[in-house]
Amino acid sequence: MSARSVLFEWTMQPGTGKAIELRAGRILRIEQVEGRQCVDFNCFNLHDYKEYMHCGRTRTVHGFNPSKGSFLWSAPPRERPLLYILEDTVGRNDVLFPRCSAYLYESAYGFDAHTNCQDIQAEAQREYGLTPDDVHDSFNLFMCTEVTLDGRATITRQESRPGDFVDLLALVDVLAVPNVCGADVMRTSNFALKPIKLTVFQASEADMAAAPKTPILKSQRTPQDFRNATIKSDRALVRDHTYVAEFVNTPILVEDVVVTLSADEAAMFEAIRLPSYEADDGAALRDILFTWWEENFLGATESGAPAIGSP
Amino acid sequence: MAERTVIVRLNQQQIELVDRAVARGAAADRAALIRRALREQAAKSSRRGEAR
Ligand SMILES: [Zn+2]
Repeated sequence: MSARSVLFEWTMQPGTGKAIELRAGRILRIEQVEGRQCVDFNCFNLHDYKEYMHCGRTRTVHGFNPSKGSFLWSAPPRERPLLYILEDTVGRNDVLFPRCSAYLYESAYGFDAHTNCQDIQAEAQREYGLTPDDVHDSFNLFMCTEVTLDGRATITRQESRPGDFVDLLALVDVLAVPNVCGADVMRTSNFALKPIKLTVFQASEADMAAAPKTPILKSQRTPQDFRNATIKSDRALVRDHTYVAEFVNTPILVEDVVVTLSADEAAMFEAIRLPSYEADDGAALRDILFTWWEENFLGATESGAPAIGSP
Repeated sequence: MAERTVIVRLNQQQIELVDRAVARGAAADRAALIRRALREQAAKSSRRGEAR
């Protein structure tokens, strides 16, 4: 650990955030100074800001509490791992809650102005020419959340201590933007705003080797693959009169497969078919086919990228 | 119970998945693959039943 060289150090004061160019092969350490402070985090491909971290993808692959060993993914159609969580001394982070915003503090608490993650992120991102609309859902470090049985997400107090940290290893060049969450009147950071220490390290070979390899797939598209790769620069939406729809694999065509079941198979079919298909034999048998396929051939590697099983 | 015919309607994407399995030797043809799936799911279901 001590073999890593320190490239940059910064302390984020309460109410602030910091945009950091984090090159591939570098580590951003986000560290508690006093403890119990939530940190919101945004991330963009440094060379193409339209590729940004996607909490939905991350949540799907790694669950509600991504921690050590999880990747932070970019949104479809890019769907690449941007960062890898190399170390996490607490192991409580959140991808359920959006960033807090001025609206929340005004509507629920009556503040004209209040520290909030949307505005702090926007101000930090402005250093790189981004606008408030470019702020995206945040990865919330050290934030303790739970899902209740009736399907609601809730925030609880956190127990992080001074010196607790999360290490994010950049797998591609990114603009990493952490901020001290502005919520001082909620449980998120135990009702106080505290500084957060940032350190950028050059990753060691051992650090690099710790990140599992993820597959490179054709479906991970870049603007070179886009039918429209030009970023729209005006605000109004106007119809393109030359537009011709080209949806993938359309038209969807169907074919009938005639399946003759033996008496034994017919009995098996009656025994296991799902009642919800009622009298629709074809739908019930199709369900059995693809459930079987899923159970036998659908794989997911540790990285969460689907692996193609071979029957 | 007597022999019985079921028509399974598949779109071209579903056919592709089925044909890939057939090409790799999972069954002789599409219908045979569907019957294999049925037999194996039924066996699994009865194993689960016994375990209970
Ligand atoms: Zn916040």
